[in-house]
Amino acid sequence: MKTPKATGRNFTFLPALLLGTFVAFLIPWLWSRRNFLQLGDPALVTGWWLFAVMLLLGAFNARKKLSMLPLGNASTWLAWHVAGGFLTLALFWLHTGALWPTGLYERVLTVLFYALSLSGIVGWIMQRVYPRQLSDSGVEVIYERLSAEIADLRERAEALVLDCTRETGSDTLARHYLETLHWFFRQPRFFTNHALFGGKKARAWHRQQCGAVRLYLSEAERRFLNLLTLLAERKTEVDFHYAAQTLMKRWLLLHMPLAAIVLLLVVWHILLVHLYAL
Amino acid sequence: MAATDTPTPITRPQRWDQPFGLDMTDADVARLLAQPEIAAIRVDRFPDRLPLREILRNDARLVRFQPGSLIVREGDYGNSAFLILSGKVRVVLPPGLPREMLGRHEVRQKGWWRSLAQLCKNRRVPEVRASEPSDATGLFRKGEGDTEHRVFLQDVPAILDHHKTAVLESGALFGELAALGRVPRTATMFAETDTELLEIRWQGLREIRRFDEGWRRMIDERYRANALQAHLRATPLFAGLDESTLTLLAQQTLFETYGAFDWHVSYQQLQGAEAVEHEPIIAAEGNHPDGLLLVRAGFARVSVKLGHGRRTLTYLGAGDQFGLEELYDAWCAGQPRLLETTLSAVGYVDVLRVPTDALEKSAFPKMSAPPRRLAAAADRPLAQDAMLEWLVDERFINGTRAMLIDLDRCTRCDDCVRACASTHDGNPRFIRHGKTFDHWMVANACMHCADPVCMIGCPTGAIHRSEAGGTVVINDQTCIGCSTCANSCPYDNIVMVGIRDVRGNAVIDPRDQKPILKATKCDLCSGQLGGPACVRACPHDALQRVDFRDLTVFGNE
Repeated sequence: MKTPKATGRNFTFLPALLLGTFVAFLIPWLWSRRNFLQLGDPALVTGWWLFAVMLLLGAFNARKKLSMLPLGNASTWLAWHVAGGFLTLALFWLHTGALWPTGLYERVLTVLFYALSLSGIVGWIMQRVYPRQLSDSGVEVIYERLSAEIADLRERAEALVLDCTRETGSDTLARHYLETLHWFFRQPRFFTNHALFGGKKARAWHRQQCGAVRLYLSEAERRFLNLLTLLAERKTEVDFHYAAQTLMKRWLLLHMPLAAIVLLLVVWHILLVHLYAL
Repeated sequence: MAATDTPTPITRPQRWDQPFGLDMTDADVARLLAQPEIAAIRVDRFPDRLPLREILRNDARLVRFQPGSLIVREGDYGNSAFLILSGKVRVVLPPGLPREMLGRHEVRQKGWWRSLAQLCKNRRVPEVRASEPSDATGLFRKGEGDTEHRVFLQDVPAILDHHKTAVLESGALFGELAALGRVPRTATMFAETDTELLEIRWQGLREIRRFDEGWRRMIDERYRANALQAHLRATPLFAGLDESTLTLLAQQTLFETYGAFDWHVSYQQLQGAEAVEHEPIIAAEGNHPDGLLLVRAGFARVSVKLGHGRRTLTYLGAGDQFGLEELYDAWCAGQPRLLETTLSAVGYVDVLRVPTDALEKSAFPKMSAPPRRLAAAADRPLAQDAMLEWLVDERFINGTRAMLIDLDRCTRCDDCVRACASTHDGNPRFIRHGKTFDHWMVANACMHCADPVCMIGCPTGAIHRSEAGGTVVINDQTCIGCSTCANSCPYDNIVMVGIRDVRGNAVIDPRDQKPILKATKCDLCSGQLGGPACVRACPHDALQRVDFRDLTVFGNE
């Protein structure tokens, strides 16, 4: 039996996806050029087109809520959502004719739209990068159980230190634990380092702390220290899970409210345009 | 709390610590020993450690059925056989009774509006049931003594008028093939009159068959007459043989069982290399093959010795054979050949041994050379087979629709869990957690096993295979919450939940104030449009439902 390959991701519709996105941009672009040459106002058409694509992007969230209906695979929806996201950027520039429009309201809208697009791109990249790193960590813990896992590791570390003191009669390891490692085991640590650099600093830190005390330990105490080091290594992996899973869950808490606000502002923008500008 | 090295003394568990029937008295056993079918058994053939009297006391029980009470249902899995002591039992002949009459329910696929209505129907509290189970079916009531839960047929005279049936009377044995062969019951049986039966669990039946020539002959002949020839005919290996040759082979075929029927117990206790060591050997590497082995039910591991352990080359399931290459080569060369691999039972295996003589005389001259399946397997790099080894060790090979998650893609977003909850009373039917290998996770979701241990012992037949697709489903209305299925599932994929009424209050039994429980598990979204919601809800194509018997799910050989 060969080693299993990644399965399931369906790229058979990729040509359709690329073609559809291209056409969805080409139509308003051609229209706006023709309209511009005829001294018309192409912004009206590109604006409505942009709004329609934004609504379709928002429909992805509705699809998630309607999982009981055969509305197609969420993976297909996501692919269109990502492609549509890039399309909105292009349509936005086509509509405004600039990276940075004039007018306070439009600028606020632009800032929020860019923030929305950026959060989408960052989220998409995170979803492509973190899962592989998480599975490579060799640890798999459900997000809701991470705090219990950390508490369990802390209890085991403390039990080890107490056993060491009881068995060897020396409190060197216990003192060192209280001064340094206790901080590490108490809660998730090195969040930013885990999120951005894979937790190298966390590993270096606990290696340093465990190494610093080794010189002063007897052979019997070192056996306990070795076990403590193993627990610290696992804690590092759990911390990485905490950081990565937190980000993968919480970026949506930024992306979705931003999407809702942008859609509301766009609706208001359309109303204003139709009431006063036309 | 840290573990201590002080051992905890307990009395070593014995085979009969938990007898099948708790109320078998000396008088009952004496009465049974006087029963003609049992009196004919030669008690002196039984070893001292397994006397017939103790087998009857511990592996059998007396059960009484009222008229109309179902004894076994077609399609159920059972681990016991029945001997009629008094009364009449009716066998329903094909085409059998309608499924609704047996307490089954057919899942009807929802339309768009009913599917959409789930959005509004899902309540804030999970597991709300609109009605009591007994109100809904009308089939379900407690049996004699108020201790057994049984399904009763509503109108026995009408059934006798409209369906073909046959009568079994005192002294008849039934259900032994399903009990020993771990195959579904082939017919429905119900009590026509007040009936007393001796129910013998498979362990006791196995011993009686082993030590008593008469019972062995009776059971084997019945199998030979009812199923063996059809089984041999369905074996691709014998596809070219004529009817007379098949009859000849059937007459000489031996029946063997290996491993424990309730293998989930040992599975939960032993894992990895230790489990391999404890697997019963069916045929050992280096021995002379004394017959072709055909797997009738269960799974077996084909392995070779490697270093200090055993390397799994492949596994066999129902319909597969072992030893053919060596036997055929030996026949061609005219010299004996030793087995190159070991066959061991993964859990419970039921095999047919077709003797070498019979094959050489009847089958080989009419057969072409068999394909060499394992020749290249042993030359593969070890790492290539690590996944297979894991699948066999964990018994995931049993799964026909296991939930496999590619962790390299899974963003842990739980969209699959939410989709499952929204289609199942607000409570997901699986946990996105499970055993992992490399970047694969087999999540705690019902695998709809080829060998569904969970279905053995369900007192009301609530857990059953659906007619369409063979999905293992639970009829919520006939589930009595006894937890037998949840305790039997080796993979912990069945969850008992407390149900609530429409006001959201917990439903309790007024007699003991305990909550009413229901068994819940993945039903592959039977009745939902578009198939399993979990698969469709995954935005990253990380989740699949796979049949581990078909290794091409990984794009492999």
